[in-house]
Amino acid sequence: MKVVVADDSRVMRQIVIRTLRQAGYDWWEIEEAEDGAAALTKIRASQPDFVLSDWNMPEMSGIDLLKSLRREGNETPFAFVTSEGSPEMRAQAEKEGALFLIAKPFTADVFRETIDPFIS
Amino acid sequence: MTIPATWEPLTAADPVLTIAQDLFSTMIDGEPGHLYPWMGENPPLEDPRYAWVDVSGPVVTRVMLMAGRATGEQLTRALLQMDDSEAVSDADFADAVGEIANVVGGNVKSLVTNPGALTLPVVTHEEPDMSKAFCLLETYFGWKGAPLGVGLWALAS
Repeated sequence: MKVVVADDSRVMRQIVIRTLRQAGYDWWEIEEAEDGAAALTKIRASQPDFVLSDWNMPEMSGIDLLKSLRREGNETPFAFVTSEGSPEMRAQAEKEGALFLIAKPFTADVFRETIDPFIS
Repeated sequence: MTIPATWEPLTAADPVLTIAQDLFSTMIDGEPGHLYPWMGENPPLEDPRYAWVDVSGPVVTRVMLMAGRATGEQLTRALLQMDDSEAVSDADFADAVGEIANVVGGNVKSLVTNPGALTLPVVTHEEPDMSKAFCLLETYFGWKGAPLGVGLWALAS
């Protein structure tokens, strides 16, 4: 399974990937993107099965990345891992078609409980 | 037998402490109990660094993390799972400390009614000019024996 992890923080990308491994997704083939614009380019090129994105990023935000994908008919499953988990942001994420939003800080258990229902 | 005192019922009422303890226990220490309220007067920071995010709105609110360089380097090593002997680059330092400010700021923002957008984190050696800002809260924690602070300021428009 090919997955794109987008976050402008290299530290946070490393933590997200490490936590995914701890949650049992060590079989995922992960490609990193340093902002929304880079993620858009990589998603178009590699056609991943899943995108896990930060919200607040330079160049292109996570929500604008999701809107861009849907505008061009790309329905790749998409979810957020972000520092803000307010009800308003969760509602906006859902409205634009995101599967879920995980708020930072997170644990491997949270990843597993949130992601597992969508794996099948 | 000595039974250790438990301050949790009193300190748990502080939302910033709760946010910081969640962050440290899950992503930095891997277990709870290493970040605690700093008792006494606000401590001086050795070779301080400042990391902040702003929440936009009618009144811009700044959420700022304050820590000594050595403490910031320890935080960076913990987040990146580096050995204690490994040197920390300025880029990794700014990324790690800025991300801590970002997570604290994002969680603080989630507690506010009708907040604006969150800015990207800024990390500096020089203390930003806060002379025209109104301090809403400034609190210090202890971590591995060293102090680190979190402050909330309303900035003058």
